[in-house]
Amino acid sequence: MALQEKDLKNANQEVQPETEQTIDFRSGNEMAARAAAQINYHVMGYFPITPSTEIAEYLDEMKVEGEHDILLIPADGEHGSAGICYGAATGGGRVFNATSANGFLYMLEQLPVQSGTRFPMVLNLVTRSISGPLDIRGDHSDLYYGLNIGWPILMAKDPQAVYDMNIMALRVAEHKDVRLPVVVASDGFFTSHQKRRVQYFSSRETVQKFVGETPEGYVTSLDPKNPVTIGPYMNDPDYINNKYQQSIAMYNAEQVFKDVAEEYAAISGRKYEILDLYQMEDAEVAVFLLNSASDTAKDVADKLRKQGIKAGVIAPNMIRPFPKQAIQEALKNVKVVLVGERADSYGGHGANLTHEIKAALQEIKADTLVLSRIYGLGGKDFYADDAEAFFQLCIDAKDGKAVALFNYYGHTPGKAEVAPKRVLKPLSKEQTSGFVTVTQEENGELKVKIPPLRVLTGKEKRIAPGHGACPGCGIFPGIETFLKGIEGDVVVLFQTGCAMVVTTGYPYSSHKVTYIHNLFQNGAATLSGVVEMFFERKRRGEIEIGEDITFVMITGDGGMDIGMGPAIGAALRNHKMIILEYDNEGYMNTGAQLSYSTPLGHMTATSNVGTKQGGKPFHHKDTAQIMAATNIPYVFTGTEAFPQDLIKKAAKAQWYAKNDGMAYGKILISCPLNWKAADEAGNTIVANAVNTCFFPLYEVERGVTTITHDPEEKGKRVPVGEWLKLMGKTKHLLRPEYAESLKAFEDEVERRWRRLKAKHESPYL
Amino acid sequence: MVTQTKLTKTNDLGLFEIRLESIGGLGANLAGKMLAEAGVINLGLNGSNFSSYGSEKKGSPVKAFIRFADPETNMRAASPIEEPHVVGVFHEALFKTQNCISGLQADGILLVNTTKTPDEIRELSGLKTGTIVCVDALEIAVQEKTRVNTAMLGALCRVVDFLDPEAVKAMIRETFEKKYPALVESNLRTFDRGYTELNITTYEAQPGDEAQPFVRPLPMLGYETQPMGGLILNPGNSILKDLSSSRQGFLPSFNRDACIHCAACDQVCPDYCFVWSPEEDKKGRTHQFLQGIDYQYCKGCLKCVQACPTDALSTLRETEGYTDENGVKHRFNIA
Repeated sequence: MALQEKDLKNANQEVQPETEQTIDFRSGNEMAARAAAQINYHVMGYFPITPSTEIAEYLDEMKVEGEHDILLIPADGEHGSAGICYGAATGGGRVFNATSANGFLYMLEQLPVQSGTRFPMVLNLVTRSISGPLDIRGDHSDLYYGLNIGWPILMAKDPQAVYDMNIMALRVAEHKDVRLPVVVASDGFFTSHQKRRVQYFSSRETVQKFVGETPEGYVTSLDPKNPVTIGPYMNDPDYINNKYQQSIAMYNAEQVFKDVAEEYAAISGRKYEILDLYQMEDAEVAVFLLNSASDTAKDVADKLRKQGIKAGVIAPNMIRPFPKQAIQEALKNVKVVLVGERADSYGGHGANLTHEIKAALQEIKADTLVLSRIYGLGGKDFYADDAEAFFQLCIDAKDGKAVALFNYYGHTPGKAEVAPKRVLKPLSKEQTSGFVTVTQEENGELKVKIPPLRVLTGKEKRIAPGHGACPGCGIFPGIETFLKGIEGDVVVLFQTGCAMVVTTGYPYSSHKVTYIHNLFQNGAATLSGVVEMFFERKRRGEIEIGEDITFVMITGDGGMDIGMGPAIGAALRNHKMIILEYDNEGYMNTGAQLSYSTPLGHMTATSNVGTKQGGKPFHHKDTAQIMAATNIPYVFTGTEAFPQDLIKKAAKAQWYAKNDGMAYGKILISCPLNWKAADEAGNTIVANAVNTCFFPLYEVERGVTTITHDPEEKGKRVPVGEWLKLMGKTKHLLRPEYAESLKAFEDEVERRWRRLKAKHESPYL
Repeated sequence: MVTQTKLTKTNDLGLFEIRLESIGGLGANLAGKMLAEAGVINLGLNGSNFSSYGSEKKGSPVKAFIRFADPETNMRAASPIEEPHVVGVFHEALFKTQNCISGLQADGILLVNTTKTPDEIRELSGLKTGTIVCVDALEIAVQEKTRVNTAMLGALCRVVDFLDPEAVKAMIRETFEKKYPALVESNLRTFDRGYTELNITTYEAQPGDEAQPFVRPLPMLGYETQPMGGLILNPGNSILKDLSSSRQGFLPSFNRDACIHCAACDQVCPDYCFVWSPEEDKKGRTHQFLQGIDYQYCKGCLKCVQACPTDALSTLRETEGYTDENGVKHRFNIA
């Protein structure tokens, strides 16, 4: 490749013979990152989502040590990451991405565009359940949405295969007979997070040589001498011909994979057939399973063979194109095969692969009976006795016993005596009212009266204890201090994030009031729908006129990155609701990746600190100012460290949300785990953030900015370093080698503070 | 260093299995990783390692799993370890909330971070036979300013015959050197103290003694009892949970005599542990008075101690029975 290969370090420093391999102990995600680093892709556009996020994290870690120089672009969401990757792919270089679950679905509409316009890349799909309800563990429900996107799909059943498939995938994608983007699918957690003994090429040159230079001779968007139109407006009768080409290319991928796998076996000693067949030569009963579960079944097949049962296992290494002929060949003499699927095609009497296998067998008029079971949804573990149960179903069917052709496996009825019963009485209005008053003066100004905190301990909390947040989590004092200013009935909506995860782990909920969760990016739109339904049903007389609910959306953990569009949309429509953002300066629920609100130089899992990089490379997002620019009636900032200030602002927000339209507030909250700070230090840290003027307390009320706590005026302003030294994620910034970064950050803090002061001084700014 | 080690004891699949029971933050995940890595890289075994948790949280129960096999044995199982040869319990309080010894082999090893004796742990855990190893890993970690994980590894190497302590120490060194070079020596000392400062008793298994029964936990609700759509119709039921095992040895202690009832503690508490009720003051006026702390929910973050403007709240090393004697329960509005 044209990159500065000589500048990059080998993972193993010694000079090795060309195909020498290093034995290591690594997870699937680590091996995906290792392969990508050795290939040295040009660009990776990515967005954090469990369990695939680690791939970007490992790549960032390796990058700061100079092991590759892939440009890692943190997108604003998966739709954005797929867009970045598509754009980059049109530019003629090599492109990589990784995602899971709803992230895959969020990018879904982009994926057929890329295959239809024929730009190769490699996407790692680390498989996980699709919401809702939200489940972070591994099944194949995301993968099954990928069956129709026109991307070849390679299956990687263990960490070794993740590495090998990633290297082969690029060759398949870029092959002249294919020219399609390729998915490498591995099992979330079972493979992505499980460390195994693995081998990888000791020298990155071996990988470089195998994948070769980026093939020349294809159009790119970056050649002004050869202008092209990418993505025309194409209706019938042309579209079908584009698809026919694509269909042929997809089928070509099977032979190309076989050839590439042959070549790969020669240098690695690891051979990947289209189907991984285990004890299938004379098998009478067989199970067909994707990825990690198939290995478990092999142990069981060994056991059954010892008992004289001719048991075998089939696991495909490729499911797109569907290896029809190989499957016909493997199953034609099998009496009963059970197709176990970790995803359902609801209402289809069996999920997709069941029917594809049935269709393949029907073509050759085989007598093989196909049983179908949906198992392991939501990451439910697959044990040896589960595999044994699958074989037993096959044996029963072979022996002529009645066995359902299609069913779920592993679902449990539950016991009536433990059916859920209400534990707490619903909160009454009285328990949460009568503490705070807001009155409008004749000049229109709002006057807020709040009692001392001691009195407010008598106001019932809307969140119950027993949630699972980390010790010292700042989210809950932050939200509770805010809610102390809110009177009466409340309906809350939480976007995906820590606050959501730790308060609603099924079958428990810490929310005493009605709570809704919707996906990471879509809370503002969803809550605006709830609000409008409330007023519409009131208008139609279906809800009592006296009924009064305050609607509050809670977001954080980067929810205002991916959810910025819907939040701005809801703000521009000016719905009567409050958006409260808890800003913990990163995607903390997925393990502390950078979000746009992470400040410059701060260390996260995707902005590591090392010789080639010193934390996050760009400045933090000023969400409060963005929301103020939508001209909603009320915008504020606050923290738990200034409780009276925050409670007053909450009361005002409620007044505006009832009388005028949307209010938005951002509270800075501490995350001891990922800020690498003491559990007990949260209050001090956020107080210092305010007093450095990094996080000024202010409000923008009907367009007029007022600073509500001016540390300069009060003689309380402290240097930025006083705040940064309290957190492990920022301590490095105080070392001499980061002086430049620190200066840039201080300058930005100062610039934004001065601008805010100017706004404070002029009602027109 | 690579040596070729042979396993002396394995299950039907040729695996030797270790399960670590912990809470997030004590380093069980890292301990499992270093142990497995030492086995594969330094001892030439085949192996695998993973943890049970998904979301990144401190204080919640986690399990780490380590499998070893001879190098030529296939490593195929990806599911959690159900019938381990060794269980390591990083936090004694877990015996209250988890079935820690589930499936432990009759001649298995139970290693516990505790101040108790093996006899006391046998009583607490209900383990019939096997070897119980007690190490006060917390005290060692506090003294060495490290975490309990390396002390637990030291103890583990003492009682698992094929684990060469030097191989594990080499991996500890390698692991810490990369990111936290300042912590290498203290962690090696912690390891050595775990290796030496322990208390072992074997309760011989007689022929015919069976492994601890393994219980695969079923979900509380099933398809006949789960409300449609995944709804939770009894919200606020998290009050039924006991989070005391999230504490890592310290808690706030409350001295009412020094309290001015300012509610600064209540306002900063992430876990809503402070219990208030109205009382009359000396002048006969009704005010909110702080009654105490409901330790069932307290995770020991100690933010309240920092926030307290008087001496009413202070940090205490938790001792057995303290919370029962000194805690005050919330009076919830039960339906």
